[in-house]
Amino acid sequence: MRQYDRASEHGLSRRAIFAGAAAGALAFAADPAAAQRCAGPPPPHAKGPLVWLDLDQQELDDAYDQSVYAFNQGTIAERRRANSELALKVLGPPQRVAYGPTEIEKLDIYRSKRANAPIAIFIHGGSWRNGRASDSTYLAEPFVKAGAHYVIPDFINVLTAGGDLFPMVEQVRRAVAWVYKNAASFGGDPNAIYLTGHSSGGHLGGCIVTTDWAAQGLPLDILKGALLGSGMYDLKAVRLSKRSQYVKFTDAMEEELSAQRHLDRLHTPLILIHGTLETPEFQRQTRDFYAAVKAAGKPVELRVGQGYNHFETQETLANPYGLMGRAAFEQMKLASA
Amino acid sequence: MAMTDSVLDAARRSAAPALPKKGPLVWLDLDQAELDAAYDQSKYAPNQAQVQERRLFASKRTRAALGEPLRFAYGASEIEGLDVYRTEQANAPVSVFIHGGAWRNGRAADFAYLAEIFVHAGAHSVILDFNSIDAAGGNLMTMARQVRSAVAWVYQNAARFGGDPNRLYVCGHSSGGHLAGTVVSADWRKDFDLPRDVVKGALLCSGMYELKPVRLSARSNYVKFTDEIEEELSALRHLDRIACPLIVGYGTCETPEFQRQARDFAAALTAAGKPHQLLVGEAYNHFEMLETLANPYGLLGRAVLAQMGLPIG
Repeated sequence: MRQYDRASEHGLSRRAIFAGAAAGALAFAADPAAAQRCAGPPPPHAKGPLVWLDLDQQELDDAYDQSVYAFNQGTIAERRRANSELALKVLGPPQRVAYGPTEIEKLDIYRSKRANAPIAIFIHGGSWRNGRASDSTYLAEPFVKAGAHYVIPDFINVLTAGGDLFPMVEQVRRAVAWVYKNAASFGGDPNAIYLTGHSSGGHLGGCIVTTDWAAQGLPLDILKGALLGSGMYDLKAVRLSKRSQYVKFTDAMEEELSAQRHLDRLHTPLILIHGTLETPEFQRQTRDFYAAVKAAGKPVELRVGQGYNHFETQETLANPYGLMGRAAFEQMKLASA
Repeated sequence: MAMTDSVLDAARRSAAPALPKKGPLVWLDLDQAELDAAYDQSKYAPNQAQVQERRLFASKRTRAALGEPLRFAYGASEIEGLDVYRTEQANAPVSVFIHGGAWRNGRAADFAYLAEIFVHAGAHSVILDFNSIDAAGGNLMTMARQVRSAVAWVYQNAARFGGDPNRLYVCGHSSGGHLAGTVVSADWRKDFDLPRDVVKGALLCSGMYELKPVRLSARSNYVKFTDEIEEELSALRHLDRIACPLIVGYGTCETPEFQRQARDFAAALTAAGKPHQLLVGEAYNHFEMLETLANPYGLLGRAVLAQMGLPIG
């Protein structure tokens, strides 16, 4: 939020108030900067000691803070809400089912009319701290209309989990296992389950595809494909960043929940995505993960969104002709329109 | 770190003009600087360059997916050509797209990304090329004449590419929204000897329908407005000629004038009893609005497919 603070120091809020007085009802939109809460240029910065690759502490912290790089985070959240409301009207309320013992462990199922249909599971992001399944309804419609069920689990956030990432991963694993075992109950094909994750949901998705499913008596290829966008696949750099202020990293957590370190357990073909306007670290995480999976000889594809930032990248999932939507449709062999 | 800086620059490319002292009002409650800014998208859409970058990227990808379009000439000059992305269905409806770019920029090939939703839904997608205002010597009448001629050509020649002339629809965005307004308010009988309802429905998005304030703005530096141009090419002044249902759209992050133009046009259509729908894109700016047309589940894509009676998704 550093950028926003700096913006108000520079007087954006005063400008908005002035414009309000001058332009009446058009006040907010009449102020160009306020219209999209656009941050000003970064202040001069004296480079400190390097803490990760060629980044000093400030740069690393910024590289794990989307708001520094995505000026329109707020507006995109607004239209996600508006578009989800619209989609809910079209689709009707989802079937909501418990997949685990705690209150939060429920998932929303947007059902397709097709019998024995493939299933897409979406793991939402939000820096591990924010997000609810109901915020992502707008992603469901293209899949439902194309003949796939869309499943969006709720799961605990890292703050409620006392800074521990393990409960989040365990819950998402439980959700996937539930879908596999109960697919028939909603007309789904347990042998055609696919996963999509974005941002911190991309990180969780990475943990899911490197789960030791056999230990749970489940098939190694329980997921037939996964689309991971804008995620984190090795936690060392994240641990060194200011995200440590709210994630209580341990050596065990860093090791176990870095997907890149468990490629031997990967049995799911991957499509990895990032946008060219994401933070340098979010771009690097995807590039490095892609290189590692490829080097391990596992099926993987990298698609780069030219001119998309972190949040804009996810919006493309709501379009069968968008970067992520097209990738998911191809992976699931769904027909566009 | 060079990469960080360049990414930051790109991500934040923004216009944050210094706070000016308010001058005399020149249009409604706007002074000259405010009016000029209200007709300058770069002042309100900090990510103009990025949205353009992804449009070019997506259009290349679409041309790879659909193949290169058929190209037809609709007029005598080199620029008067149109791209046709064909659907497989016979006698299919036709969508004609008129691109924007402040009347100055844009080529049909760079808007190919809009074709896919139509082609897959069972309609041909036609994207027009036409003169830029600079090439037309500042004369908007030339541009309007070209896009009207192009629509007439499509009506008369649709059969050549398997199109149904009686299901011809038009979409325009930005200055292309203005031009689409001049298409639906053309005097088709008098000027082209064609039926009044040659166009069966249109989407006018983020456009201008009354040129008076535009003429008062900095756009006069490159558009040579005359009284005749202002009169003939303000769709708002020719509502009697409009013979098809309209969808009028704008985003809440557009400039105040581009929002007002759409609202005032919709209000005038209501008063005139003309069938229309006003679509408001919550938290979309001028350029982001058009991206929603490239998505069958987007605000504009959904509305246009419904207008054409095509399946969504």
